[in-house]
Amino acid sequence: MAQTFASRRVDVSSILHADSLSRHIIVLRQGIGTWLFLVPALAFFTGYQVWPIFRVLWMSFTDYQFLANGPSHWVWFDNYNAAFRDPLMWSSLGRAALFTIMFLPGTIILPLLLAILIDRVTSPRLATLYRVVLLIPAVIPSTLIFVLWKWMYNYQSGPINHFLVDTIGLFTLQNAPQWLGGTPLTLPSIAIMEVWWGLGYHTIFFLAGLAAIPKDLPEAARIDGANEWQVFWHVTRPRLAPIMMILIVLRFGTAMAVIDEYLIFGGFNRASPTYTWTIFMYDQAFKLGLWRQGYAAAIGMIGAIAMMCVMVFLLRIFRPRG
Amino acid sequence: MTVEALDRRPVAGAPGFASRPALGWFNRNRGAIVRHAVINLFMLIILLPLAWVLVMSVKTLPDAMRGDFWPRHFDFTHYGYVFQRIATLPVNLFNSIYVTASTVLITTICAVLAGYALVHLRPRGAGLVVTALLVSLYFPVRVVSIISIYETQHWLGLINSTSGLILPYVTLQLAISVLIMRSMFQLVPHELIEAARIDGASHWRTLWMVGLPMVRNGLVVIFIVNFVAAWGEYLLCLTLIDDEAARTMPVVLAAAQGGQGQWAWPNLAAVYVIVVTPGILAFTFAQKLFFKGLMEGVVKG
Repeated sequence: MAQTFASRRVDVSSILHADSLSRHIIVLRQGIGTWLFLVPALAFFTGYQVWPIFRVLWMSFTDYQFLANGPSHWVWFDNYNAAFRDPLMWSSLGRAALFTIMFLPGTIILPLLLAILIDRVTSPRLATLYRVVLLIPAVIPSTLIFVLWKWMYNYQSGPINHFLVDTIGLFTLQNAPQWLGGTPLTLPSIAIMEVWWGLGYHTIFFLAGLAAIPKDLPEAARIDGANEWQVFWHVTRPRLAPIMMILIVLRFGTAMAVIDEYLIFGGFNRASPTYTWTIFMYDQAFKLGLWRQGYAAAIGMIGAIAMMCVMVFLLRIFRPRG
Repeated sequence: MTVEALDRRPVAGAPGFASRPALGWFNRNRGAIVRHAVINLFMLIILLPLAWVLVMSVKTLPDAMRGDFWPRHFDFTHYGYVFQRIATLPVNLFNSIYVTASTVLITTICAVLAGYALVHLRPRGAGLVVTALLVSLYFPVRVVSIISIYETQHWLGLINSTSGLILPYVTLQLAISVLIMRSMFQLVPHELIEAARIDGASHWRTLWMVGLPMVRNGLVVIFIVNFVAAWGEYLLCLTLIDDEAARTMPVVLAAAQGGQGQWAWPNLAAVYVIVVTPGILAFTFAQKLFFKGLMEGVVKG
């Protein structure tokens, strides 16, 4: 008996000296004491993460409109049917997927390349300096990144167009590229910004993975006559695969569910490539008509479930074999 | 700086220098030179946008219009100007500081307590809690939950309340913070906690005196992670707060259109530098601890 209690990290000595009834009370009290440590985190987590998801799921089956005075009704799958028939639902999902395809390769391959280069820097001081610079964008809060790039992409006074027009003369003021504001360049522009933002952070991730590879492995391969590419492909890549998998799945998730960038760069123009399912949901929930939040909830659920399916699929194909 | 001295690696299978006397310094170190050139190009790409905004904040107005990178004259008055002339700015800045500090403090306390409990107290259902936290990292909670969070805050009477933002802000990075603290506490040996308990220390005292000093690096990581999340939060603040004076800096900055008057480019850049500097400074000072914590907590977790 005492053995099992000990394994549950209950104070053994007090139990051994107590009779049966108070023994139970002590165990109960320590159980409650244990949960007391978890209560603050769980209260916030339940109140603002778990409950909202279930509440939104519930809403998606009703005709709930926030600004309407009357009660809402249970309408089963009406919202889902309407959403599936809405061409905007499909095009907005497609736009999110398009952005993900633009963003994902760059945000994996560039940091990997950079990490392999930095991993070979032998001077510890220089290596530390590189690491600090790499993480600077990662400690700049999201919105401040977007604001900075919004200015840099500015058509008239942004430094990018200034460089293209005045410095190297590739364009004139008349045909300079319009980076943001719903043009076809908007999604690639946002993707470039996101790759820049994640570059350092992902490089640090890969550096941690590279540091775990014993140094004599690639050396041995080189002595056996393997070239650099073969060393990378047969020695380094398999050992980085788990990190790469986590990054791909996580970044797929963030890219599909981008919303702040689209709010800041695109607004609510339905023709804009930034009008993805997240903006579609937000538009319905907080902008249009009487705030049809039941319908918005269904849009959000469809988007979320669609991307969860792809993520589960990705996790399955990346699962280590054997 | 000699690249050769910094980065000389043995070239496997290459004949000794004596047999190839004609090879110059450049040729011998070509690989290292190209490598450092590429690395430094990336570093430049990372730093250039930040350098641009920093230089912009000390340009005179005509220089800012001209668009050249380096100004002809420096003008440091924009920093004073933005505080005197933009009425809501000090309020917005205070809102940001207040909300962020509260969020970081509350989340850190929650994460430390939960991390300690999950590892060293092992309550029933700990596995379920960890699974729920992990799933929430993959599900787009932030986007989908906004509809319901608006309803909750409306019900609590917290629409347009700056303090009200703290509640949803705590959960922004709560799951990852708890998971980081959990993997940090897994590095603390059970025997140590047991020993303190047998000596008669309560769980609170054990956590405070024995546990906390050992998870210092993880604390730095969750401090920075939560600071970054709360300091830059946009979606919730935009949605839950209509009143300009109750908003935080990110929403104000995102709404500001650069151009003339009080939001002329150098003024905007000055505000930007004021907002972005604390995070970078904090990180630079704490970077050693931060990297240790990152390696211990995130990569293993």
